Amino acid sequence: MKFWHKIFTYSILVFILIFNATSVIVIERNHGKMLTREINNALSQNMNIHSSVDAILPIVLIYDSEQYEKNVLANIAKAFVGKVGDEGVYMTITNDKGKSIYNNTDFEISLNRAETEKLKSDEIRYIVRDVGKRTILFTSNLTEINRKIYTFTYMKDITSVYRERMDQYRFYLKVDIIACSAYMLIMFIVSRRLTIPIHRLIRTAQFIAAGAFSERAESRSKDEIGVLANNFNIMASVIEEKIKDLERLNREKQLFIDNFTHELKTPLTSIIGYADYLRTAKTDASQLLDGLNVILSEGKRLESLSFKLMNLIMLEGTEYPMEDMEFCSILAEIKPALEMKARVKRIAIKTSCETARLPLEKDLMKILIFNLVDNAIKASSESQCIAIRTFRQGSDYILEIEDEGMGIESEHLDRIFEPFYMTDKARSRRNNGTGLGLSICQSIATLHNAVISVRSVPDRGTTFSITFRRGGAVL
Amino acid sequence: MDKKILIVEDDPNISNIIKMNLALIHYETEQVYDGISALEALEREKFDLVLLDVMIPKLDGYALMEKIRPKGIPVIFLTAKNTVFDKVTGLKLGADDYMVKPFEGIELLARIETVLRRYGKEEAEIIIDDVRVYPNKRIATLKDEPVELTPKEFDLLVVLINNKNLALSREQFLDKVWGIDYYGDTRTVDVHIKSLRKKLGLHDRIKTIFKIGYRLED
Repeated sequence: MKFWHKIFTYSILVFILIFNATSVIVIERNHGKMLTREINNALSQNMNIHSSVDAILPIVLIYDSEQYEKNVLANIAKAFVGKVGDEGVYMTITNDKGKSIYNNTDFEISLNRAETEKLKSDEIRYIVRDVGKRTILFTSNLTEINRKIYTFTYMKDITSVYRERMDQYRFYLKVDIIACSAYMLIMFIVSRRLTIPIHRLIRTAQFIAAGAFSERAESRSKDEIGVLANNFNIMASVIEEKIKDLERLNREKQLFIDNFTHELKTPLTSIIGYADYLRTAKTDASQLLDGLNVILSEGKRLESLSFKLMNLIMLEGTEYPMEDMEFCSILAEIKPALEMKARVKRIAIKTSCETARLPLEKDLMKILIFNLVDNAIKASSESQCIAIRTFRQGSDYILEIEDEGMGIESEHLDRIFEPFYMTDKARSRRNNGTGLGLSICQSIATLHNAVISVRSVPDRGTTFSITFRRGGAVL
Repeated sequence: MDKKILIVEDDPNISNIIKMNLALIHYETEQVYDGISALEALEREKFDLVLLDVMIPKLDGYALMEKIRPKGIPVIFLTAKNTVFDKVTGLKLGADDYMVKPFEGIELLARIETVLRRYGKEEAEIIIDDVRVYPNKRIATLKDEPVELTPKEFDLLVVLINNKNLALSREQFLDKVWGIDYYGDTRTVDVHIKSLRKKLGLHDRIKTIFKIGYRLED
């Protein structure tokens, strides 16, 4: 059963119950009042008759004639029945032998009259009886005249009271049908409208479940459903964000795997291809040498790739113990190795170091500096200069490595830290480059709570800076 | 006329080894190292087949494939990616075959041959000294006289021709001629080679390569 069905059905049921109960109570109460009035009237009429008889009693006693008594009583009865003047007013007077003295009824009165049995004088009893199609109110009392007991029965036709009740019921039934129909119509509209926002919410939820994560529910009302819609939207936003995060992560991971596969398979293809060729084809000496050279250089490239990859994997999710260390001493330690590497191109390395102690992982810091200087050497032409500087700037401590080499085009600057990204694949390959060096540098910087950034002008040089944010903790 | 094949591969070493392999069976080759140069080469010349690396600079292999398809030139993708999705993407774009790196020379040659045969570009007549072989008609002649060859001998001859100048092992011959579910002795190959040499007078052409197998040489 749908929610609006429930609202609709329950409210209609309650309405019908209350409306009809009220109707019945009102009608029955009116009827009861009218009946009471009729009964009281009849009783008082009966009393009047009784009084009249009492008044005339002395005269009747004087005559002491049974025939006279009868005449007198019949006259009184006639007077009363006539006096009341209404149709439907009847009277009977019977003596103690059950003989009728006066009777103007136009119907048979059953002999079984419970109300007259054991009736005492000075007592009036009444009863309502259905006679044929009519409803008659009987009031009876006894009067003793000359030691003879007479039963006076005054009757009133009260069919109209009952007919009135039936009329009222009929009228109420019509009102009932009209009111219920109107109420049903209104409740139908109201319950449908009340549940429209819920239906919207359901549709939105279905859309989201089907994968349209940017779908949102409308929430115009300020009631509970509006609040629900708002919260629903908040939930949907959170889910959407999380899913986007997951998708982005997944894409990055997939990209990494794709690139890695490519970088791994390219040298493998050459190695396997040349080895197979040398083994199966007829080759001359120069072809043999060329082939072996390719196998050697591609093998070295694989070796370099595996080392770099190990570095990168080790950096991910490993805790490194940091030690407070003099930065300049690390630089001094690594400088001879750097100079030896630079000597091939007759490049001069200038260092200027501002002393500072900060928490470092010595070996990782060496890898970082070595990678950056190695890049600088590759980018430089013969006899150029590379500068390594460290200095304080506010509460930060900054390491800068600057070259005068070929620089990096601005289109590449955003992406050079991505794993396997190479600005010039052919040149990188010649230098056994893997495209992983800067990714490693960035991971190392992050481990040291430092930020790595780059600025470069093509043909003028590149500067990498690593900013150690210590917020005054630098000693 | 020799078939001309365009090699689109950004790694010079891989490009060279492909070229060397193709040269063995006298395919003519042209090497280009990025997508744009490939397009230019295709505009300039007619090629019988394109070997296309997916990850190439400037215009990637999938985008290039879209431009090659209208020309009706068969394409074999070369790629490092080995997922079903990548394969399906390549084949849906209209590639005729798909080779995952690293691959061996004979596999590459076999696939090239299959694709060319599908396009009806297979050699109709192959001449080795006095021997003429018509693979479509399954006829071989020596000095214009038909030579009786058993079906397996003929298949073996075709495999030798298709892998000219490359040494194949006895196992490889078994796979290619008798099928991978053949459980025979590798000496079956020796017997058939011996018979081919005798029937066609190819003693100098079909060389035994020590520790490897046999090779048909020019």
